[in-house]
Amino acid sequence: MKTKSNLYRKESYYGYLFVLAPVLGFLLFTMYPLLYSLYGSFTDWDGLGRMDFIGLANFKEIFADEQFHKAGFNTIFMMIGIPIEIILALLLALGLNRKMFGTTAFRVVYYIPVISSLAAISILWQWAYNGDYGLVNQFLALFGIDGPNWLTNKYTVKPALIIMMVWKNIGYSMLLYLAALQSVPKDYYEAASLDGANAFQTFKHITFPMVKPVTFFIIVTKIIGGAQVFTEINIMTSTGGPEYSSASVVFYVWQKAFGNLQMGYASAMAMLLGLFIFVITLVQFKMNERSSRDLE
Amino acid sequence: MVKKKGLLSVFVLMMSLVVVLSACGGKDNEGAQGNKTESQEISFMFRGAPEEQKAYEATVKKFEADNPGVKVKIITTTGDQYATKLKAAITGKSVPDVFYFDPGDLRAYVNGGVLKDITEYVKDVNFDNIWQYGVDIYRYDGDNVGQGSIYGLLKDVGPFALGFNKNMFEAAGIPLPDKDKPYTWDEFIKVNQQLTKDNDGDGKIDQYGTGFNINWALQSFVWSNGGDWLDETNTKVTIDDPKFAEALQYFADMQNVYKITPSIEDAATLDTYQRWMKGELAFFPVGPWDLATYETLPFDYDLIPYPAGSTGKSATFVGSLGIGVSNSSKSPELAAKLVTYLTASPEGQQQLVDAKVQIPNLIDMAETWAANTETKPANKKEFLDIVQDYGKPMPNTLTYNGEWYQLFFTDIQPVLDGKTTAADYVKSQQPKMQALLDKAIEQEAKSKK
Repeated sequence: MKTKSNLYRKESYYGYLFVLAPVLGFLLFTMYPLLYSLYGSFTDWDGLGRMDFIGLANFKEIFADEQFHKAGFNTIFMMIGIPIEIILALLLALGLNRKMFGTTAFRVVYYIPVISSLAAISILWQWAYNGDYGLVNQFLALFGIDGPNWLTNKYTVKPALIIMMVWKNIGYSMLLYLAALQSVPKDYYEAASLDGANAFQTFKHITFPMVKPVTFFIIVTKIIGGAQVFTEINIMTSTGGPEYSSASVVFYVWQKAFGNLQMGYASAMAMLLGLFIFVITLVQFKMNERSSRDLE
Repeated sequence: MVKKKGLLSVFVLMMSLVVVLSACGGKDNEGAQGNKTESQEISFMFRGAPEEQKAYEATVKKFEADNPGVKVKIITTTGDQYATKLKAAITGKSVPDVFYFDPGDLRAYVNGGVLKDITEYVKDVNFDNIWQYGVDIYRYDGDNVGQGSIYGLLKDVGPFALGFNKNMFEAAGIPLPDKDKPYTWDEFIKVNQQLTKDNDGDGKIDQYGTGFNINWALQSFVWSNGGDWLDETNTKVTIDDPKFAEALQYFADMQNVYKITPSIEDAATLDTYQRWMKGELAFFPVGPWDLATYETLPFDYDLIPYPAGSTGKSATFVGSLGIGVSNSSKSPELAAKLVTYLTASPEGQQQLVDAKVQIPNLIDMAETWAANTETKPANKKEFLDIVQDYGKPMPNTLTYNGEWYQLFFTDIQPVLDGKTTAADYVKSQQPKMQALLDKAIEQEAKSKK
């Protein structure tokens, strides 16, 4: 008994030592700022000097804040890109999963935007969307269409950003789907073809259920990422777009905190955003659990 | 039991590591303090376009050479990242010794204990030879900007003048504008209409009169018409004044009624800037920071005063950027020395002026520079007139924060598109802006406590 516990203790000691670095990193760089920001959200802190406790006043103000509503709406609206991206990525993966000449090259081509710097891509697309000289409008002109100045028009700025984000991220989802498709056992398809299933039936009853965990993973991570969209908006529409039509919540948080000396208010918004993401993710997990149970 | 002990030891270990880590972090500072003499190493954070960064780096090198043993650690960022990085540094209490700051942030930084009062360190500077405007906006006595202690010196002043394409006037046979007598608004429209035309007869307009960006040019029209964003006490938003609305309407009408600018869809800043550079615009604003770029323009240009509204006087803004010293600097004297070297010493200024990134801060040097009509633009004196006589600071720099001012431009598009009249817009926008301004005033009062 005693020797066993000694051994156990020694082993666990080294075990703890190994996890120390990440745990310490988490405490210092995640937990501490999080708690600091949580406290900040209850103060009227300007980011420079004293923090005076003002209770829930910041949160009350947020609910009446027109700009926040706009930014919240924009953020959710731009998530339209998520289902588009998932469908396109799955179709692409299905296509590139065949034994065809040049599929490897195509996989690389679609993945390149994913590994490129978001800032660089944003600048490139900013040029592409330029109303006068932009690639997009030059392309449209080939078909006799007079394209708008995408980023300075409040009706086109959000679609423009969505298109760019889908383009940027599609390779990532595609790669995940490719991996999932390749792990589907071949005998399922053989059985299905023996039973005389057509392509659509095969997809519906075999492929789609088999890649469901990947779909779930993509949806969850995309929504978390989508709620925090910032860089492309900051670069492509540096003032939040015409009539604030492309500002996201994080953009507004950043403006308040670093532009207008309202760190406390910004912290409160960040807390709400964090809560929103947490709840949405929780709901998704619950839903996934239930539907997996139904499948069984 | 065993498990508990394990957790405890982990906790102890972590705490000790935190202590060790923070001790490491503090080492540099202790060394500096231990020394009787000041530390010979200071940090300098600034921003700018690539040519500007190069010019400043070279000037700092010269400073190091002139002060043996001194080492300046340079931290640079691009313009749009600067504010975020600086504010993060302030929040994290690791402010660089010397750094750029916006005059609009002066009060917040002084009240928040970020900026150091450098009055005693800059006693030797000959302020008679420096633009008074650029010195006064960095003075603050706790209540008013413009008097009291000095919290920074001007990196530069940025008079925003109006340029015109000389060749275009000559080609059209129109007399050149007078550099001393501004156009009236009506004259300005007329001349622009004459210059907006289709040169090759393909039905598409090849050259326009002008193309202003509302963020940087509306001020001139509003001020020269007797309007303003704020009243004299800087506590009331006055955009609902008819004079203001008239100027805004005039600005929008250049586009919608008189058609002297590229269409709204084409008028993003980059485009009008590019059009001017290609020689497709007759009038375009010119800042001193553009001079190096404009050297290669394929046409001759010069400076004139902006057209004058009902006051009969031309108006425009003067920007500025301050260089200050951190309140927590371990070697404030050396830091202030770098500030004066960059902003007020003939050696430092000469280097920066030669790099063509700014107009001289020193008046005698600036006058020599402006008197040289060989280099473009010939009428450089207009820049100096703006700084000395009629330029004004941007309204957002007069208040604790500029949120109220931002809101004005956020919702302006329908006015520019001609879908809302200026009069309706200013009426609906004034209360919203006033509410934000009130909040800023409240914030300022709190920060003083």
